[in-house]
Amino acid sequence: MIERRPLSRLAGDEAREEAPPLDVRFIRVPSIAERKLGSDYVAPMRLDPRVLEQMQTTIRELETKYADSLKSQIAMLQILVEPACRGDKEARERFYMLAHDMRGLAGTFGYAIVGQFADSLCRYVEHSRDGDWNDGTVVNFHVDAIRDALENPGTDPAITTETLNALDRLIGSDVSERGSQRKRG
Amino acid sequence: MSVALFEKLTILVVDDSAYMRHLLMTLLQALGVKEVLLAIDGDEALSIVHTKEPDLIITDAAMMPMDGFSFASKLRSIRGHALGMVPIIMVSGHTDIASVERARDIGISEFLSKPISARGLYERLIQVLDRPRQFVETPTYRGPDRRRRERPFKGDDRRNSIALL
Repeated sequence: MIERRPLSRLAGDEAREEAPPLDVRFIRVPSIAERKLGSDYVAPMRLDPRVLEQMQTTIRELETKYADSLKSQIAMLQILVEPACRGDKEARERFYMLAHDMRGLAGTFGYAIVGQFADSLCRYVEHSRDGDWNDGTVVNFHVDAIRDALENPGTDPAITTETLNALDRLIGSDVSERGSQRKRG
Repeated sequence: MSVALFEKLTILVVDDSAYMRHLLMTLLQALGVKEVLLAIDGDEALSIVHTKEPDLIITDAAMMPMDGFSFASKLRSIRGHALGMVPIIMVSGHTDIASVERARDIGISEFLSKPISARGLYERLIQVLDRPRQFVETPTYRGPDRRRRERPFKGDDRRNSIALL
């Protein structure tokens, strides 16, 4: 179906012509910058280094506050891991939400390694089933790695990479073990 | 010019993480944005867009009960109103190809992976504010043109028939 829209003030003569009878329609949208700034608009809009610096300063100002919040979140992960592995659904949800928050935020505030371990943990939880939690090995390894990354930020990057690879292997072996159990079943 | 522009914008931030909402709001304020609207999930965001009509939306992907994909999909299905074409930047920790392609195929304008950086956010804002891709409407897709590069392809080139909004 072809739809006609009201013409904008910026539309040229082409827009007043009938739309071609096609099952696809392309619409050129005027830039928001042009629409909002009117005659003050100068193309193209470029990244302003002073504004970027202001944004980066804003992030630095939030870092201390985030560091405190991160410590509390990791402490909470350590509390939640046991009930979560025992099967407490609410604990699992809160556990995942915390890890998900870390995955998204830690890297922005200079805790890239924490973010990477949290990302690995999230991926594991997203693909896990009830039985995976009961063992708790993989989940506990992740929590320990996250705590360690916060407490020892100067850890040799090679060790971090190796730990991440080891966690990946653990996750992989859990998944393939599940696959072979399914085949056996 | 950019500060003058950002001062005139109303931007909706949708994220279930309070800290991420705070971070995005603070960064947008540092850019000069005067009006930042906040929503904790797609449901709340949908009710806000109908009353406030933001110029731009920044949404998380994974939220409960309505996630960013469903929210964007519902927005794009609004026809006959500029709201259905509002630029959407999706911010997500799910950076696998499947998630990025899913975002693209429901009409997301730009994808920003977590953890976000000031530069990454600023660049994507400039992209959607000043260099919008043409909008495409087909029976199965409604959103910005998904082709970003000029490459040879088989079939008719229907991109010559452009209407102006």
